[in-house]
Order: sequence, then C-alpha cells, then structure tokens
Amino acid sequence: MSKQTILTNGRVYDPMNGIDGEIKDICISDGKIVERVDGSAKKIDLKGRLVMAGGVDMHSHIVGSKVGVGRAMCPEDHRKDPVPKTKHTRSGVGYTMPSSYVIGYRYSSMGYTTVIEPALPALKGLGSWEELEDLPNLDSGLLPLFCNSMITFNYVKEGDPSGLAAYIAWILQKVGGLGVKVVNPGGTYAWAHGVDLRDPDGEIPGWDISPREVTRGLCQAVESLGLPHMMHFHPNNLGRVGNIETTIAQLDSIRDIKGHGGREHIAHLTHMSFETLGSVEGAGTDWGDLASGGLEFAKYFNKNKHFTADMGQITFGPATTMTGDGPFEFYLWQLTGGKWANIAVDVELAGGAGIVPYTYSPKAAGNSVQWAIPLEFALNVDDVWRCIMSTDHPNAGPFTKYPLVMSWLMSKKQRDTWMEGMHKFAHERSTLPTIEREWSLYEIAISTRAAPAKILGLEATKGHLGVGADADVSVYDVDTTKVDFAKDPDRIIKTFSTSYLTFHHGQQMAKKGKVNASVNGKVWSVHPELNESLWTRINKELEVMMNDWYSHSFYNYPVPERYRAPLEQKIPVDSTSVPA
Amino acid sequence: MTEDSGMKENIVCPFCGCLCDDIALSVVGNQITDNKNGCSISQAKFLNHHDDRLAMDSSVEELVKKAAEIIVKSKRLLVYGLSSTENDAHREAYKIAEEVGGVVDNTSSVCHGPTILGTQESGESIAALAETRHRADLVIYWGSNPQFAHPRHMSRYVRADGLFIKDGKKDRKIWVVDVRKTISAGVADKFVKINPGSDLEIISALRAIARGKILDVEEVGGLSINELTELVEAMKNAKYGVLFFGLGLTQSKGRHRNIDAAIRLIQDLNYDSKWSMMPMRGHYNVAGANKTSTWQTGYPYAVDYARGYPRYQPGEYTAVDMLVRGEPDAVLNIAADPAAHFPRAAVKHLAGIPVINLDPKQNMTSLLAKVNIQTAISGIECDGAAVRMDGLPLYLKKVVDPPEGVLPDRDVLRMIYDEVRRLKK
Amino acid sequence: MSRVGVEALLTSGRTLKQGRAMELGKLGPEYLKEVAICEMDKVTLEALGLDEGDPVCVETLHGSVLVTSKIDRRAEPGIVFIPCGPYANAVTGSDTENTGMPDFKGVSAQIFGAKGEKVLNVKELLKQIMEGA
Ligand code: SF4
Ligand SMILES: [Zn+2]
Repeated sequence: MSKQTILTNGRVYDPMNGIDGEIKDICISDGKIVERVDGSAKKIDLKGRLVMAGGVDMHSHIVGSKVGVGRAMCPEDHRKDPVPKTKHTRSGVGYTMPSSYVIGYRYSSMGYTTVIEPALPALKGLGSWEELEDLPNLDSGLLPLFCNSMITFNYVKEGDPSGLAAYIAWILQKVGGLGVKVVNPGGTYAWAHGVDLRDPDGEIPGWDISPREVTRGLCQAVESLGLPHMMHFHPNNLGRVGNIETTIAQLDSIRDIKGHGGREHIAHLTHMSFETLGSVEGAGTDWGDLASGGLEFAKYFNKNKHFTADMGQITFGPATTMTGDGPFEFYLWQLTGGKWANIAVDVELAGGAGIVPYTYSPKAAGNSVQWAIPLEFALNVDDVWRCIMSTDHPNAGPFTKYPLVMSWLMSKKQRDTWMEGMHKFAHERSTLPTIEREWSLYEIAISTRAAPAKILGLEATKGHLGVGADADVSVYDVDTTKVDFAKDPDRIIKTFSTSYLTFHHGQQMAKKGKVNASVNGKVWSVHPELNESLWTRINKELEVMMNDWYSHSFYNYPVPERYRAPLEQKIPVDSTSVPA
Repeated sequence: MTEDSGMKENIVCPFCGCLCDDIALSVVGNQITDNKNGCSISQAKFLNHHDDRLAMDSSVEELVKKAAEIIVKSKRLLVYGLSSTENDAHREAYKIAEEVGGVVDNTSSVCHGPTILGTQESGESIAALAETRHRADLVIYWGSNPQFAHPRHMSRYVRADGLFIKDGKKDRKIWVVDVRKTISAGVADKFVKINPGSDLEIISALRAIARGKILDVEEVGGLSINELTELVEAMKNAKYGVLFFGLGLTQSKGRHRNIDAAIRLIQDLNYDSKWSMMPMRGHYNVAGANKTSTWQTGYPYAVDYARGYPRYQPGEYTAVDMLVRGEPDAVLNIAADPAAHFPRAAVKHLAGIPVINLDPKQNMTSLLAKVNIQTAISGIECDGAAVRMDGLPLYLKKVVDPPEGVLPDRDVLRMIYDEVRRLKK
Repeated sequence: MSRVGVEALLTSGRTLKQGRAMELGKLGPEYLKEVAICEMDKVTLEALGLDEGDPVCVETLHGSVLVTSKIDRRAEPGIVFIPCGPYANAVTGSDTENTGMPDFKGVSAQIFGAKGEKVLNVKELLKQIMEGA
C-alpha cells in the first residue's frame, strides 16, 4: 500500500512552476509529489498557511575533516547549546559547529531538506560518508576539491584536458562527489612552498602554470564532462581589501568557456562577504581603506551572465571560519591572535585547510562593511535566480541565522534598525542605507529553493512542488495575506525559524519546530561515464601518480561501496564524448 | 565469507597509528601464513591472531543478556576503550552510553588527551604524512620513540625519498629530543638530551628566542642558551619542518601546557618558514575514536550523558578520574586493557565493580571482568574504518573469518543496545 | 631485600618487544618478560650490588613493585625505565591534575636490590592490587 498525504489549502510559493502565493493542494504519494491521491490519503488542512518546497542549501560546511577539527578544538562553541535526546531524536550540541545529528534536526525544524557540503578533500572521502550516516533528515552531496592537487597541475601543465576531465570523473565516481570545488587555485599549494601567491597570473611554484590556467582548465573539464553542477568557485586573494578586482579578473578569464549543451552558467561564485571587497577610491588595500564592492559587483553580475553567486552573508556574533584556503586563515589568525588550525592534506591541499574562530561585530569597521557587501549586492541584482542566500555556514555565521538574513533582504526597516548601532563605515562606504528594494516571498523562494536546486542540477526533483518532485515540503505558520513582512521583520524571523511542518520524501520530519523523525536521506554522487580507452588510461596514470605522491595506496583510495550503498543516489552522466 | 587462499595486497595493519596500508598477506584456507612488509609487531598481530583468544563462559546471546542486565541496573555506567576497534563500534557504544545516561571516554584520555587540550587553547598546525615525506627537510621527534612504538614511521614517511627531498637520508635531518637516549635517538642525526620534566621551560625558551627575546639565564632544562639558539636558528632555516611528538611530552610534567607551548612555537615558526606538527598516535584507531566522538557529541573524549545531552570535562568524565573517585558502578570496556594501563588506585575500583569486557583476546581486564565477550579482530576478521595519525581515514579489510560464532564489536554492541532497550521498557 | 636504595626518576614508555609480546598474549610469559623489567645503566646496577637479571624493588609514593633488572647500554644514571604496562602502573600516581592523564613519566623512585625474591606474574600482580597490598 502506498503512503499518501494531501495538504489542502496551502498558500503556495513555487517559483519553478510560476506559482506566487496561490491557494493550492499538494498531493504526496510514496515520497513524491503527484497529481492526485485517493480518498484514503491522510488529509492535513493548512488553513492558508505558507507553503514552499523544502529548503535547498547549496553551500554549508556540515561534515568532514575541517568541521571535525573545528568542533574538537572549540568545546566552548557548543557548551552553552546542549540538545537533549528525545523519544525520536539523538542528543548532541549546537552552535556554530553543531554535532552531526543536531545539524540535521536544526535544518529540519527550519524547513530545509537538502544541504550540500561544499569542500571535500577527496582522499578523506570515507570519513565524510561515515559522518553523513549520522546526519539525518537531509539529502546531501559532497564537492571534492581539485584546485591545489598536483594531479590537476600535472594535466594542466601537460596541456591534457582529457586527462584532467578523466581525473575528475575518476574521483567523483570512486569517492562519491556531486561536483567540482575550486578554492584558491594554486595559492594553497604555493603556500606549502612558503610562497604567498594571490595573483591569478602568478606562477605556481615548480609547475610553470598560473592559477588562471588551473581555473580555466577545471572549468573546461566540468563542461566537457557535462556535470550537472558547474564549477563551484572560491577565487584567489580571498578576504583582502580590494579583491573585487581579482574576483572580476578571474570571472572574466573564464567568460569565453562554452557551457555544456549551450548552458549559460559555467561557474558558481561563493560567498560575496569575502570575495568582493572594494576599497575607497584612490586609497590602498589596508583594512582602513575597505569599501563595499557589492554594488560594483552587482553591475558586473547584471552584465555578465556566465556565473551565479551566493551571499555568504555575515550575521554578526560568533562564527567559525574554515576553508581550503589555508593561507587566508593564517592571515586571519594574525589579525585575531586566537586559535588557528591548519590541516595539510597530502597531494591535494598541501598548504592546508585552515580554521579560525571569529566573532563579527557590528561595531567593527571592517565587519560592518563586509556585512553590507552581500546585501548591497543582492538588492541590486536583476536576476535572483542567480543569487543564493547563504552564510557560508559556519564561516559568516551559522545556518540557523537564515531567518535573520531573510529579514534583512525583505525589510528596509530591519536594515535601518540594524544599521543604527553599526560602525559608521557601513553607512559611508556602502550604498545600503539608500536602497529601498525589499525582496518578496517569491524571491526568497527562488533564492532558497528553486535557484539552488537548478544551479546544482537537481531541479528535476528538488526545489519545487510540481508533479514528479520529491515530496520535500515546508509549511510556515503565517497567512501571508494578513501580514506585512517588510513592516514586521520580527515576524519574518519568527516565521522562518521554525516551520509549521517539514516533509522530507513525504515523511514528516518536524512539526512546529519540534523534530519527530531521525532518518537517513540520500547522498548524490555523479558518475561520469568515460569511453573505455580514456578510463583505462586514467586508471593507469592515476595508479602511478598516486603511488608516487600519496602515502597510501591507489587501491585504498576509493570509498568502499559498503559505506555508500545505504545512502548513495548515483547520477549517471554520459561523458563518453571526451576524447581519450 | 572471504575468498579463498591467495595473496592479499594493500592490507591495512591495525596496530599502530601509522596504519601502514602496504601489507601483503598470504592466506591459505582461513589461515594467514605470511605477512610481507609488516614490522615485527605487525607480524605478531597477523600471524598470531588465532592465539590466546578470550574465553567465553556461555553463548554470546546469554552474555549479551547478562551485560544488558548489568547496564540497566547500574546508575553510573562508564563506557571505555574504543581505540583498538573500528569506527562503527564507536558509534554503537555512544548509543548505549546515551541511552542509559552514562559516561563515554576513549583511551586518548591517557595518551594524547593533553594534546587535545592544547589544541583547545591554541589550535594546531597539523601535518600530513605524505607532505612530510615529500617536503620536510627537518623532522623532530620529541618525547617519542618511533623505532619501538611506530616501527615503520621513520622508514615509510621520514627516511624515505620524497618529491622535493630527493635523498631522504641525506637531504633531511632528524632530531630526537628526549630525556634518555632511546633507540630512535641512536639513528637520528642529532640527539638533544633534556632534563626530565623540563619540556615546558625548554619550549618556552625556544619560542622566546625565536621571537628575538634575550633570556637572562645560562641554561634551560640542561641546554645552554647557545645550544638553544642554534636549535632555533636551524628550525627557522628549515624550509619545511615537522614536529612529531609523543607521550614523553603529553604524559610528563606540564602535560597540556607542554603541548600548548609547542603549538604556539610551531605556529610562530610559520612566519619564517613552514612548520607543522603531529601527535604520534599509538593505538591504530585512537584518532578515529576522537573523530567519531566529536561528530556525534561535539567533543573528542570525556563525555557524560547523565543529563540526556553530551557534556565534556576532562578531569571529571575521564576514566581514571572517574574510577579513582569510585564513581562508576559498572564499566563497559571495549578493545582496551584498563587493568593493565591504569594506575593502581583506578584498577582497585575497577576490580570491585561489574565489568563487561569486549575483546578478541584475553588480557588483564578480562581477569577481573564479570562478563567477557570475545569479538572479531577489526582489520583481520571483520572490516571497518580507522583513522591514521594524520587524520587520513582508511578502510580495514576482512582477511579471514573470525572463530566460529565470534562477532564484530559493532554487532555485539548493537545486541546489547537492543537488549537494554527491551529491558528498560 | 637490601635496605640501601638508589634514587632515580622512573619513566615508562613503549618498547618494540612489549608491543610484539602484547600480540602474542597479554597474560603469557613472553609479555611478562618484556614488561616486568626495569632498565637502568650499568653503574646503577653495580651500585645496587646486582647482576643483570636479579630482581629489584621499585618504590614510589604510590606503591612498590618487584621487577627484573636489565641493563640499558645507552642509559645514564638518574633515570630508570619500566615499559608501559601493569608493572609501571603499579607505582604511578593517579592524580591527573584535572586533565584525565596520570603522571606516567618522571615519578621519583627508589630502587632496591631484591635478590631471591620472586617477580609476580600478571595474575598474581592483579590479585595483589585487588587485595589492596
Ligand atoms: S608500523 Fe605500525 S601500522 Fe605499520 S606495520 Fe608496524 S605496527 Fe603496523
Ligand atoms: Zn564555504
């Protein structure tokens, strides 16, 4: 017997299907949205409550080695936020780096159902798969890093795009990855040689190639393989005053790359708070010279349509910065003087990923301007389908602050209130105070559901409520015809902090914020199928390189089936056209 | 069932934190007859896995029942051990502790617990073994005797040739810092003998000198200021340095303060050069125990579930302290031998309370345990995942079948958990 | 037992043979041979009037234990070594100073010759601890 539910009288916001606040019924059968259900279906009358597809977070650091190191080295982060076990759920702790179960539960209670981990050192893939088994109630995916790997450099240097594409295909298959992540290409590697490489046209020590060439090579490889998700990109020179120039230069350098099957977007740019720092005209690149680059970047974004971007919105208060950009974290540590961890990762991230706890203060000049950047950007873009709300959890703030971010986007009143006590630079060095625009609920639904699903290439089943979609549904306890969110920002926060109901694959996960299920979701992996001769070649070449360069065997590199089978959802891709 | 006879290659050795994954075994029938590449400890582990197994006085099902009864009756359960079993067993153990509001601690509290405390003060610049082999031109072992405790550490990762260190024997310098001239000191390029208990002073002095401070003393911990200055110069002049440190640093006077100081020294050296560090993890999966505990509870060890959520406090919820206080009224011990490795006062309390002991082999703890359950050896008789000392996860393979009726730790723990749930209803 | 002792710092740690012996059987004679020993320099042994292999009694604030003496050619006077295991732990303190870690290294000890006395095996040692001796 199939399990059927019908949610009646919901006010539905479903941008992928062009639905903007219509009263509709949602029919669920066997975990899928269907046309109709029979009379035996369980009926829930939503009485006009707000309905959206389950939230899709395409960039949130939820598992893996650096999250683990961060948690372990910061007990003070979790102590004040204990989460007791309940009849249905396991215990744990929260705050900027919650324990695995609590991550799942907190997303559930906010109405999110899909979350992607955007930075996996591929050789540590096994650990992440294990951890995902203890991270319930979400569908997920992992984006392996390819940007500082000697194997990548080797193929770029040799001018062998097929080899590079095949290496990516091999890793995605053997480790189980959803896409390609690029972080400070070449720069992290250079740092292992003691070289501070932030110029995209500089030389990666010993390889006679530049970050620009690596970026282009990887971007081209993703398109030639035809991966569903484009290159997920964190450029060089992150977190430095004036780096908007580098960011734009790097985006320019890939603009001519042809999207697979004519697709428009070939890169997804991460976290504006750190990538588009401007500087006061005529000034230098000291922190005192910082100005928002949000508007300037929005103009570039509106003109150049080959990429999408996420906000990485700073939320103020405690955060933990963690990135594959080791040298950036070393730099940040010199500013904070507190804890700093660096994790060297063999051949793939020789310089290392870094972790530095950080508290953003609205009273601090730099932080307040950084806060203004993504908002200024998001409120000036002409296409919200390319602009994703995120906090780069836990880098700019924990994901639990999303409702606060929504309130800034949706309410000028809220922005004004927050800017009252803020450092004057936020006023003087951004145009934010003059921006009137307020995002609509429809735009919120685009930016937190439809668009990320599309950018990830998961739009067939995620991010919408049309027939055939997974029955991931979030219901919020509000009648949108009776409230004016822009005038009542507290109501925004209250509404989106805890869903009224969250369904994942048709199963109820949470009710009124209380999580009442703890079940494993799916983990996507992309399986690009290569032609046989290329597959044979890459296996041979990788065996040699891995056995020379790694400290463990080529044969022990793949993540065994036994850890993947219970969760894995394979996405086959026909990449046989990549020449051998 | 495992496949039949033949050569099995790329097997991971489940003994020490090196997790060497180049072991080649000859298997005839269900018998391992040869171990290629393994060190002498690895030989003993693989070739004698059948010997000296833990005796069970009834069926596993009966013993599981007994264990569950003890657990349900107890008011303050201590779950301990975990570092010599694979990750899935840890995850089951935490579930039991959570279910009954017990405490769970792993053996890192008596090995590299202080290292973790040090990182909680300062962070850590963590090294990787492949990087060490390729790049390190200066390697320091401090309070660690790898030739004995990690027999292939030097040959596989440090003396071996690397990409940028063409000749691992000539182009790389190895120092050993210790209170006594160990066998490792004998094969090093330089032995720095220090006074016992003076690690903290020496590291602090090195750091001060590295920062250009003038010290108004003639010697520190047995080393003259000149010697110390020379060490600092050499460390700064190294292109890529790695500090490996052992229990000589964590277990001696100063404990976590030693580590904190070392972390700060290594961090500072990154202004002039590249430096990172790595604890020489002893048991093959103690790093894994920290990792699994951290993702499930937020904390790497010393976790108490009494309030229904994890709380963390070394010194309170660490096994030795718990036992010395006489707090636990039952112990579930998994893959460890606390009776042999804890101080007398702790063992005395252990001997007076019901102990449930899961282990493949007999040991001192099994002598005093009330319930002994023999389990399969991870990485030989069952599969699983473990974490190398540098954080690399590796898959342990099942090579031969366990003795008849013997199950992996994870299965026994799952059975105990189910039985506890049943009894509690 | 001789009443003239030698003062030394007791330290412990792993040895290759102890590691190997653990895998051969933690209650067996091999293990006993590798962990129920105290390594010291030749001078110290001579000062005690002993030959290598004679039993010694190691006494600390926390207890005493009988082990077999052994010469370590690299050792110097002032430091003696017992491989980690039940014998070393029988004489180490249990105060962890709130870290979880007892003082395994650098305990001050007195070493006495104990010719003619018998080194307990693991089972006997455990019994002794349980009985609180
Ligand atoms: S060094 Fe350690 S892991 Fe390697 S073979 Fe020897 S005991 Fe096994
Ligand atoms: Zn990120």
